[in-house]
Amino acid sequence: MIRIAAMVCSCVVAPFGAAAHGLTVFASVDCETVLVEAKFSNGKAVQQADVRVFDGENALQSTLPIGPDGTVAVPLDSVDHSGGLLIEVSTGSHDNYWIVTPDDIARNCQS
Amino acid sequence: MKRHLLAASLAGLVAATPAFSHYGMIIPNDPMISQEDGRSVGLTLSFSHPFELDGLMLDTPVSFSVTHEGSTTDLLGDLQDATIMDDQGYTLDYPLARPGTYIFAMEPQPYWEPAEDTFIIHYTKTYVTAYGDDEGWDTELGLKTEIVPLSKPFGLWERNIFQGIVKLDGEAVPYAEVEVEFFNDGAVATAPDELMITQTIKADAAGVFTYAAPSDGWWGFAALNTADYTLPQDGVDEDVELGAVIWVHFEEWTGQ
Repeated sequence: MIRIAAMVCSCVVAPFGAAAHGLTVFASVDCETVLVEAKFSNGKAVQQADVRVFDGENALQSTLPIGPDGTVAVPLDSVDHSGGLLIEVSTGSHDNYWIVTPDDIARNCQS
Repeated sequence: MKRHLLAASLAGLVAATPAFSHYGMIIPNDPMISQEDGRSVGLTLSFSHPFELDGLMLDTPVSFSVTHEGSTTDLLGDLQDATIMDDQGYTLDYPLARPGTYIFAMEPQPYWEPAEDTFIIHYTKTYVTAYGDDEGWDTELGLKTEIVPLSKPFGLWERNIFQGIVKLDGEAVPYAEVEVEFFNDGAVATAPDELMITQTIKADAAGVFTYAAPSDGWWGFAALNTADYTLPQDGVDEDVELGAVIWVHFEEWTGQ
């Protein structure tokens, strides 16, 4: 959890600027996959963006293109998620992030 | 200069005065939940004179629900008994699974108010946005009577205006009377006159009303109409006051 808190601090500047541009990022998780969703404040799905996945040490684990529906699935076994994950979505002019905490993974794995 | 300092110490005195308004209340711990705030929202349900912090008995509601992305979920069985403003109320910690606007709505049981010789039913709702996504902020629930927001019912600076349209049975109510009252949490506000505790405004011909809150905090808007039915009390058919209540939070302006 401490590492996740550190990630929040390290990213706090970028999301505040991004929030003004109305990009919303969310990620849900089950035992197998992190499903990343990104849309603009008008509800329109993001068409083109890079999705970067960082581990709890803020090390880049993976970079994926977002799908045409504004989503992308990240297999959990493809990343080190023991310390949580930070999912960053960047369109080039807008960016924002979502943090998947170890608690999120544990809670949704149990359900 | 006559000046009434209507703080908590005078709550007992003013509570006896029938001019002050009753409000159903659904107050979240935060109207805008970010991911850093956690994954749930804490809710407090009560019935009160909110400026005087004078609690009233809130019996188990007829219904309590949440609407999100067009789907409504019954939460009545999840309410926890609690003492709110020294009277019966309820709390709930509700998990927010996804982004978007969550609308919590309560229909209370009819409350008999002998001082006004009427029953009171306040259909009460509060909008909470989760994780930076405000989609659904203008949702109309289709309640018997409700205020449909024309301004976002969250994310307003103090002194911004809030606009809503008063509806009864799905139709706009021309020139509807709307009472406005501050939830004087912490008893920090005083009023120079009793008329300033509950302010009364009217909607226009299209049922639209406008109000600018002078300070940050929770403000309750109650559009009042008389039902087209009566309820029995001691063998007499009594009028029923239908209230469309919405709670709106204004944020403190942080600029110069």
